[in-house]
Amino acid sequence: MNRIVIIGGGPAGYVAAITASQQDKEVILVVDGPLGGTCLNEGCMPTKSLLKSADTYDLVKNAGQMGIHLSLNSIEVDWDTVQERKREVISKLVNGIRYLMGKNKIKVIQGRASILSSNRLRIENGNENEVIDASKIIISTGSEPIPLPFAPFDGEWIIHSGHAMSLPAIPDSLLIVGGGVIGCEFASIYSRMGTKVTVIEMGEKLLPGEDEDITSILHEELKNQGVTVHTSTAVKNINATSKTVYLENGDGKLEEMHADYVLVSIGRRPRVNGVGLEENDIDFSRLGISVDDRMQTSNPTIYACGDVIGGIQLAHVAFHEGRVAALNACGQFAQVNYRAIPRCIYTSPEIASVGLTEKEARQKYGEIKVGEFAFSANGKAALSNKPVGKVKVLVNPQYNEILGFSIVGQHATELIGQGTIMLHAEITADMLEDLVAAHPTLSESIHEALLNVVGQAVHS
Amino acid sequence: MAVEVVMPKLGMAMKEGTVSLWSKAVGDPVEKGEAIASINSEKIEMDIESPAEGTILNIAVQEGQGVPPGTVICHIGDPNEKIKIDEPVAVETQLKIDEQEKPKTKESPTLPMGDRLMITPVARKMAQAANLDIERIQGTGPGGRITKEDVQKVMEKRDSIPVNTEERIVPPKPAIESQQQIPVKGMRNIIAKRMKESLQSSAQLTLTLKVDVTDLVILQKQATETLQKYESTKLTITDFVAKAVVLSLKEHPKMNSAYIEDNIILYESIHLGLAVALENGLVVPVIRNAENCTLRQLSNKGKELARCARDGQLPIEDMQGSTFTISNLGAYGVEHFTPILNTPETGILGIGTAYDTPLYIGEELERRTILPLSLTFDHRVLDGAPAAAFLQTLKRYLEEPITVIL
Repeated sequence: MNRIVIIGGGPAGYVAAITASQQDKEVILVVDGPLGGTCLNEGCMPTKSLLKSADTYDLVKNAGQMGIHLSLNSIEVDWDTVQERKREVISKLVNGIRYLMGKNKIKVIQGRASILSSNRLRIENGNENEVIDASKIIISTGSEPIPLPFAPFDGEWIIHSGHAMSLPAIPDSLLIVGGGVIGCEFASIYSRMGTKVTVIEMGEKLLPGEDEDITSILHEELKNQGVTVHTSTAVKNINATSKTVYLENGDGKLEEMHADYVLVSIGRRPRVNGVGLEENDIDFSRLGISVDDRMQTSNPTIYACGDVIGGIQLAHVAFHEGRVAALNACGQFAQVNYRAIPRCIYTSPEIASVGLTEKEARQKYGEIKVGEFAFSANGKAALSNKPVGKVKVLVNPQYNEILGFSIVGQHATELIGQGTIMLHAEITADMLEDLVAAHPTLSESIHEALLNVVGQAVHS
Repeated sequence: MAVEVVMPKLGMAMKEGTVSLWSKAVGDPVEKGEAIASINSEKIEMDIESPAEGTILNIAVQEGQGVPPGTVICHIGDPNEKIKIDEPVAVETQLKIDEQEKPKTKESPTLPMGDRLMITPVARKMAQAANLDIERIQGTGPGGRITKEDVQKVMEKRDSIPVNTEERIVPPKPAIESQQQIPVKGMRNIIAKRMKESLQSSAQLTLTLKVDVTDLVILQKQATETLQKYESTKLTITDFVAKAVVLSLKEHPKMNSAYIEDNIILYESIHLGLAVALENGLVVPVIRNAENCTLRQLSNKGKELARCARDGQLPIEDMQGSTFTISNLGAYGVEHFTPILNTPETGILGIGTAYDTPLYIGEELERRTILPLSLTFDHRVLDGAPAAAFLQTLKRYLEEPITVIL
């Protein structure tokens, strides 16, 4: 028998399925919920749809700056249509994946899978039970939002990101617990839709993983959009009956807060329960299933990939891991490569980075060279009235190795592709001194930042 | 039509020439007369100039590959034209025979064209700084490309091999900032090999002697003054020393010899080698049958050869077959030094810088000009006393300079 069974239809699972099918294997994909997983149904894609609506609202409201005058009274958000559009786009994308499954002759079974032995699984769907055999099993069950220990999600008032993207109406107020990527993105969506947003972050700053000089620009813009940010502040308790949130700030001062909704975005945890990990000698912890660099678990016929293995919880990492897991499960040799993983935050302005942050680079290499270029000196940014932000590049002077890029500003998530290529190909900074960047583009700023490393930026 | 560039014949005896460096790559435009490659034979390195204006269409002989003279090493022409490789050329036939005779040329380590070694820019810099042979690193990146991680693995493996306890306590600081690597090839490679071979294969030692050349300097000035009435050249102290060496060698034939395969070969003719420093090496042009030359002839020939050598125009015949060599570091203020034998020759004379010093002549102190001489000789051929006797004869000629020109 040469059958690969994959549990979970998110980015890791469906890419693993297609990859295995391309290796001429019989592939069964067991899906508990819609195809596309969190990314497509409750994560990346729907939030970006909402952000696009928020951006458009912004653009229309500010059209006057470009000489397009609209009566401000006539501009309003039709939330139902915003939601409808989101559902349509998602539905189209889910259908796209369904089409790919069919095209690749992948059998999709709805149900919850649990592993019975190294080569056998049970699939439950309602009252129906099915036992199937597999030569190799790939676990890609993904992750789920972590609740506050003292306040489980109720979906009514205490909500997670999945709820937050399908609220019945634009709330008057929203309290977001956790100033990470998800928290900041929702702050950016709802504040621009007119909601009074408050962000509570335990750490000293928003987006703890990124450099201060980058996140402070976003912080400032969020404030301009009406967001109140409390850093070094913890949620001590929540009373769902009185809809009160009790906070304690860094000085130990207590405060009460009220909001229409409390969005808890303090992270996501791997879905390791109910799969049959313990029973089948698969090592795991609360951080996820342990795998080697070929995505193999401690049970040699079982592989795991995506959010369920912890690590970097990003859809594009899951794509990569899914492919590696499938290739190895099909008897080939492949290793994961986390050399150049871009990190994107879809706020306004966007933040995108790849490689090391400045803080990490200084810890690792000591003396490094930093090149920066502000969008305020970029013509294209001025033309679109969005001169906020900058490009920062980090270079190790020893080999002129490019260590990392951080970009904050409009289209940062598109621009980071250039940095990703540079890091992936391990290009050195000196090779790019006479690069010719198109003008006028935002991309020029990347070249200028690189030139700035050697003190030769032209337009700064 | 494409022009063929062939490996030139640098001397009658040249069997093989090696392309030591391509300064142009396929697709590069070249001017007529522009240097496109450096080649070397046994003794000499020279540049090959483009015979025509055009584009390098192909490179038939890779760096490090040795081929017989006449072999096409590249084509230059219009970038759009096709090269007719199968054109019947006598030279190529000869090459084919050669290849049949010596199939070992096929085993040359040179990679065939298009078979590139793939390595990322960062990995290449790291490997160079750590002095790693990139051809021996296993690449695991896209398409087998060597990545930073691959280089780091090799470096870690290397660092983890304990050399000795002391080194483990105090790890040596890598002097990466101050390092520069120059691959030894071309003329440098030839010199390196020959010098090492000389020191390893002979029993050489150096005797030094100071010669009072006060009278010689007076004579040299007079002679030059007189000579310059007729021609623009001038006679130098070195010219006189060369002539004196020839005269001394005639009296000491054992010094005009070579040690070849356990035989001492005594030469009747004196072919005098003159070491000439070049920008990045040295060559030793040879004045043949120096015993038949007058002082003026020696002087003129020496200058002509040195000029050719500096221009890289020296035919290889003029660099072979010397029986005794003279080397001169006087211009740098050096007094005595230890020249290395130009093997298989028995002797080499080093001329130092002439300087004025007070010297007792009888009871009186006088200002005299002293020339330091250093003679390296092969003790396998002759012993210290006869070698010293040769130096003594040389000293006598130079201190009674009129005997040199008689």
